[in-house]
Order: sequence, then structure tokens, then C-alpha cells
Amino acid sequence: MFSLEGALDKNMKVLVVDDFSTMRRIVKNLLRDLGFTNISEADDGSTALPMLKEGSFDFVVTDWNMPGMQGIDLLKAIRADANLSHIPVLLITAEAKKEQIVMAAQAGVNGYIVKPFTAATLNAKLDKIFERLG
Amino acid sequence: MSVDTGGHVSLEEAKLLVEYLETGQQEKADELIAEIQNPINSELFAEIGKLTRQLHDSLNNFQLDSRLNDLATADIPDAKERLNYVITRTEEAANKTMDAVESIFPVVDTIQKQIKAVNPLWQKLMHNKLDLPEFKSLCIDIDILLKTTDKESVRMHDLMTDVLMAQDFQDLTGQVIRKVIDLVREVEDSLIGMLTAFGISSESSSKPSKPKVGDNLVEGPIVNAAQRDDVVADQDDVDDLLSSLGF
Repeated sequence: MFSLEGALDKNMKVLVVDDFSTMRRIVKNLLRDLGFTNISEADDGSTALPMLKEGSFDFVVTDWNMPGMQGIDLLKAIRADANLSHIPVLLITAEAKKEQIVMAAQAGVNGYIVKPFTAATLNAKLDKIFERLG
Repeated sequence: MSVDTGGHVSLEEAKLLVEYLETGQQEKADELIAEIQNPINSELFAEIGKLTRQLHDSLNNFQLDSRLNDLATADIPDAKERLNYVITRTEEAANKTMDAVESIFPVVDTIQKQIKAVNPLWQKLMHNKLDLPEFKSLCIDIDILLKTTDKESVRMHDLMTDVLMAQDFQDLTGQVIRKVIDLVREVEDSLIGMLTAFGISSESSSKPSKPKVGDNLVEGPIVNAAQRDDVVADQDDVDDLLSSLGF
């Protein structure tokens, strides 16, 4: 997943999960702008999980508030599955209660971005996540 | 036997009652008791009758109030439609804008690439190191660059105008949402009216009631962050909170 220089491999397989297609499109565009080329989408935690179990993904960006399976529950499911627990997860969400942020951190989220957010914030958080893993 | 019909038992009656009981006249004692209670009972029945009539009238009034009926059968479904309209319009606007943006990105990239391609020879020129064939080549490249930039600038201008126009959703959705707010206010007033009619206090509590919260404390975007102390205001707050906890 990492090149010799320690920088993250932008060919990594990314899954973007959000029930609003416009938000998926925004995140996908921002990631493409940052050089990521291998991006898949899911419209709910419940459709994302089977994709993850099947598909050798390297990174997940997910919303919290989704009707079928919420992002926090998707995160917990990822961390509970031995084959998936290593995958870094970034939450991008409008949920802004302090309790929820702590909940996510304790569940093992790698980054938490509140909406509305900027491209710069996304970039900074991605750097931080992959720096920490490197 | 004449009995006080004021509903209050008198000393006379009580003494008579004791006399009946002491002489084993149980039936007479029971009769006396019944007669004493009678006035109380009839008052009670009169009160219940009055309340029943009041309740009946109030219920009838509600049925006659077609406004309430309209709210339930027409306006609320209408409001749902309006809000769906808002979702549709905002989605359209977002997609229109992103279409324009996605068209602009490659244009800008192309211009940047062309400039980068021209730059080495240009730098040579700036340092007086360019020979004649290179100079001719540079002129051609710059000519192409100028023509391309000219054309694509016009295109970008048009696309920017598309982005501008796509923002018209705000005005339309704003009007629609205002109508829904009016409706909500009406429903609120009707509900308060109903509560008052049934004698239930409808004073709004001094503390605003807490918003509805779902599984995992889910609440959606916070619209009044300034009045709350349990939410973060921006990304910096999020980062501070997480680092203060060691994450």
C-alpha cells in the first residue's frame, strides 16, 4: 500500500459510502483531485459491508447518518471482522455532538470530519491518517 | 320524614340514625342514610351531566372545524410534497453545478499542461540561450497556447455562468420552505388550542424541549449550534476534542 518513499499509494482501492449521491460525487471528485484513481461507491452501510467483505479495499470514507446501517455501525462491523479490521476509516458527517465524536473515536475511527468541510481539511486528514499508519 | 336537602347531614339526622340502629331498625337506618346522601348524589350527577355536555360540544366543534380536517387531509400531504420538491431541486442544482465543475477541471488542466510544455523553451529565450529553430518552434507553441486559452476561456466563462444560474434553487426552495413553516405554525396553534380546550396547560416550558434523537444519538445537521453546549461548532473543535482525549 505504501511506496518506497513512505507516501501513500494513490492507486489504493477506496470505498465512499453516503446515502446522498451528491455527497458521494463531491467526495469522489475531491479524492480524484488528490490523485486517487480507484474509487467505488455504496449508498448505505448495509450495501458497503458486503462489498468490503468481497473486495480487498484499502480505505473507507463514510457518512454516519444512513437509513439501513449507520456509519458508526459499519465502522464497528469493520473493526470486528478479522479480515477488515486493518482498513482505515474516515467519517465525514453532519453529526456534531461531542458524545458522538467520542463514540466514533472509541470505536476505532481514524479521522472525523464535520460537514460542511473544505477540500483542504480532507487533504490534511488523509495525510494525517496515512502518516500515522506509515 | 323530612330531611335536610342541603346535602349536609344534621345533628338531628345523626341522632335519629343512632336511635334506629340502637333499636335494631336497620332498614330505616339505611333509608335515612340514602335520603341524606341523595342531594349529594344528585348534585354529582348534575355536574357530570354538565361536563358530558361540554365535552360533547367541544368534540362537535372540532368536527365542524374544517380547518383541522384540511390540515390533516390536504395541507400536511402538500407539505410533504413541498419538502420532497426541495430535495429534488437541491439535488438538481448540486448535479448541475458539479457537471459544470467537472467540465472545467480538464480545461484548466490542459492549459496548465500547455504552459508547462512551452516553459522550457521560453526560459531559454529569457536567458538569451535560444537558437533560431528553437525560437520558431517556440513561436508556434505559443501561438497554439494563445488560441487554446482564448477558446477555453470562453468555454469556462459559459460554464461559470451555468454554475451561477444553478444557484437559483435557493430562492425557489426558500419560498417553498417558508410555506411549510407557515403550515407548521398553524398545526402548532391548533394543537395548543386543543390542549387548552381540554384544560391542559399549554405553557411552553422555559427550557426548549430537546430535539428528537435516533439510534446512536443521531440527530442530523445542527441548526442552532450557538445555543447548545453539547455540540462542536467546526472542524477545529472536533480536532481539539479528539486530541484532548488522546486520539
